[in-house]
Amino acid sequence: MTPLIEVRDLHFQYEDGTKALEGINFTLLPGETVALLGANGSGKTTFVLQLNGVLRGTGSITVCGLPLTKETLPQIRSKIGMVFQDSDEQLFMPTVLDDLTFGLLNQGVPEQEAIAKSKLALQQAGLAHVWNKAPYHLSAGEKRRVALAGVLVMEPEILVLDEPTTFLDPPAERDLLQLLSELPQAKLIVTHNVRLASALATRAVFFERGQLVASGSVDEIARRFGWNYADLPAADLRYSAQRRF
Amino acid sequence: MHHILLDRWGQGASPLHRRDARAKIVALLVFLILLATTPGNAVAILITDAALLASAILIAGLPLRGVLLRAMVVLPFSLTFGLISWLAGEPARALALVEKSYLSTVAVLLLAGTTSLPLLLGGLERLGVPRLLVLVAQFLYRYLFVLSEQSRNMRLAAACREGGARAARGFRFRAATGALAVLFARSYNRAEGIHQAMQARGFSGRFSILHFQRFGALDAAFMLSVSAFLVLVRVG
Repeated sequence: MTPLIEVRDLHFQYEDGTKALEGINFTLLPGETVALLGANGSGKTTFVLQLNGVLRGTGSITVCGLPLTKETLPQIRSKIGMVFQDSDEQLFMPTVLDDLTFGLLNQGVPEQEAIAKSKLALQQAGLAHVWNKAPYHLSAGEKRRVALAGVLVMEPEILVLDEPTTFLDPPAERDLLQLLSELPQAKLIVTHNVRLASALATRAVFFERGQLVASGSVDEIARRFGWNYADLPAADLRYSAQRRF
Repeated sequence: MHHILLDRWGQGASPLHRRDARAKIVALLVFLILLATTPGNAVAILITDAALLASAILIAGLPLRGVLLRAMVVLPFSLTFGLISWLAGEPARALALVEKSYLSTVAVLLLAGTTSLPLLLGGLERLGVPRLLVLVAQFLYRYLFVLSEQSRNMRLAAACREGGARAARGFRFRAATGALAVLFARSYNRAEGIHQAMQARGFSGRFSILHFQRFGALDAAFMLSVSAFLVLVRVG
């Protein structure tokens, strides 16, 4: 089976000299949903930003058979749909419809077709009524769904979601989970939320100090790295809190 | 928030709301140019202009008192310059300056209150305003709300740690400048995040703004009749 994403020996260093990624090797197969777990600053977001060339490190990245180069960047960006952690950063246009058509117009889709597709995508996300609203009038859950619709309307083959449940209340989280579980695309999910990872992911990988140190089932990874705090006895949590403060 | 209120006003369905943004922008420009060139002692013209604005506000279904109160935002500036003119021995000029700046602000508010921001920006772009300026205005408007919310949260966080005590003025000044620096750094980070989000959706340096409005015969008639009326008032 040809991988959708193949990353070999990826290294990346920020301008201030911080080594963010060191020798990452990763493969995403069609139909897979992979959860990227790891502490804050371990390199998860930096890694996903490499996949569509927003950040550029050394090493090789192949997406849907296309090597990531300056020439293939537009094609690759149309194949990877990225939903950012902070919806306010993603929804930068004056109205919801303007925002949804942004990606399509960049792809050269005619205006009327872009509008029709965007309205349909909003309808599918259950938000047909907000098309002419300004993004700051929306709730956190609505913003997240609009951000997702803005990516889905571009019909990507791979979805990358960075902390998709941040700022969401439980009902909004449940709705999003339902929506995501129905999407056919292969997914990469950057998250701290093990419950979300367990519900959606077929596999998890764990990042530590810029390295991908383990791969396995979500349960296995969460247990191995103590990532599922629900498993910890209450005494451990108290001890942990005392040690910290 | 002012701009949320303007958004709400801009969603109306009056005859003025339905006019193409370009027609309203041109009419506003004609109004502003003629007002600026009106002699300070031409009280009748100024009264006619004020009456025209008041009628337009009522036709648009905007709250007259609300618009007039919000237009007072210009007074601290115009009164300062007016006072300088007054002290320089030109009371008529001082009065004209205050009157004209106030009427200009009312007219701008009328445009902003009868045209939603996307339509206004689209209209400006189609009238030849450089795309870069339109984009800067768009981003400023979009993120003003986010930034003001951030600064409000920072103020609240500071107030929560004051414990009721009033710090020395010097310390408060240092804290305020520090907060401003943090706000700037956060804005910079956010700008980077926005740029990344734009790149991820294939942004290649060219922005597209949807244009919903069509400039029809009614828009042309509105633009020409308002402009002609204003010229007649000015020269007649």
